[in-house]
Amino acid sequence: MTEAELDPVIHSQARLRVVATLATFPAGDRIAFTKLQQLLDMTPGNLSTHLRKLEEAGYVDVVKSFQGRTPVTHLSLTSRGRLAFEEYAAAVTKLLGGSS
Amino acid sequence: MTTHDPALGSSAPSPEAPDEQLPDAASALDIIRAQRAAVRDGFEPDTRVLFGVWGVSWLVGNLVLYSTARSTPDHTPAGWSFAIYFALLAAAIAVTIVHVIRRSVGVAGPSSTSGAMFGWAWTIGFIGVFLVMTGLTNAGANPEIVNLGWSSLSCLLVGVLYLAGGALWQSRVLYVLGGWIVLVGGASTLAGLPGSFLVMALAGGGGMLLGALASHVREYRDAR
Repeated sequence: MTEAELDPVIHSQARLRVVATLATFPAGDRIAFTKLQQLLDMTPGNLSTHLRKLEEAGYVDVVKSFQGRTPVTHLSLTSRGRLAFEEYAAAVTKLLGGSS
Repeated sequence: MTTHDPALGSSAPSPEAPDEQLPDAASALDIIRAQRAAVRDGFEPDTRVLFGVWGVSWLVGNLVLYSTARSTPDHTPAGWSFAIYFALLAAAIAVTIVHVIRRSVGVAGPSSTSGAMFGWAWTIGFIGVFLVMTGLTNAGANPEIVNLGWSSLSCLLVGVLYLAGGALWQSRVLYVLGGWIVLVGGASTLAGLPGSFLVMALAGGGGMLLGALASHVREYRDAR
């Protein structure tokens, strides 16, 4: 196992932060876009770009709805995304442990 | 272009280049840890706030009751001291609800549902205490029974809710504190008036402030 074999969808500074944040919430919880943005301290455009990539990979579920007249976007990890993150975290830990 | 990292080959170049830096294994783990901590700090109820508010409310409220009850012949506290006691209790409940709600804004799903249900349990519980005590008073309970009932039932309710909160957020501190409040509330009735107020102030309020301190020490240790 080398760093080159790590999941390329997650193995980026910004996307790892997004996925790690979403993975901290219990399965089933959906996080508002603005709250996620606040937790990550990222610009809306930048966060959207990375979320699109994660959505294309099937890791993140995007649900758009209305709260009154305000559009709200809620995000959550799919079970596939959660699994990918757990595998990524395990692989990174293994790399650091020196055993491959 | 002097170096070529084969790891970069698999990910397409994108316009937001600065964020595409690939962390090495060690910084990847740091990122995961930091985000977990950020979420915990932003969402889970801060036990220091809850313990602190309830500790001050009980310590001060019960000391006021005790000091006025001591100087009356039948050991019942003055009316104005009850006003202070209930104002402090209401303030502590308000802070708890606002704190829990503010923390759960922006999250939908199981966590926020349990948070909201937990918040409402306080209000519903205190309505129940109010009804029981009104019933006992109407049935002719003497002032000592009424006084002991108010404080011990409130204690029982708050303690059991803390036990539930501890189970909900898997917080040992919250759970231990809940157990302590239940036992202190129960035992305080054995002391009779006005001693029960002193037991509640020192063991109840004091215990919560110690809980606030213990949880602050733990936060500080975890943050290092």
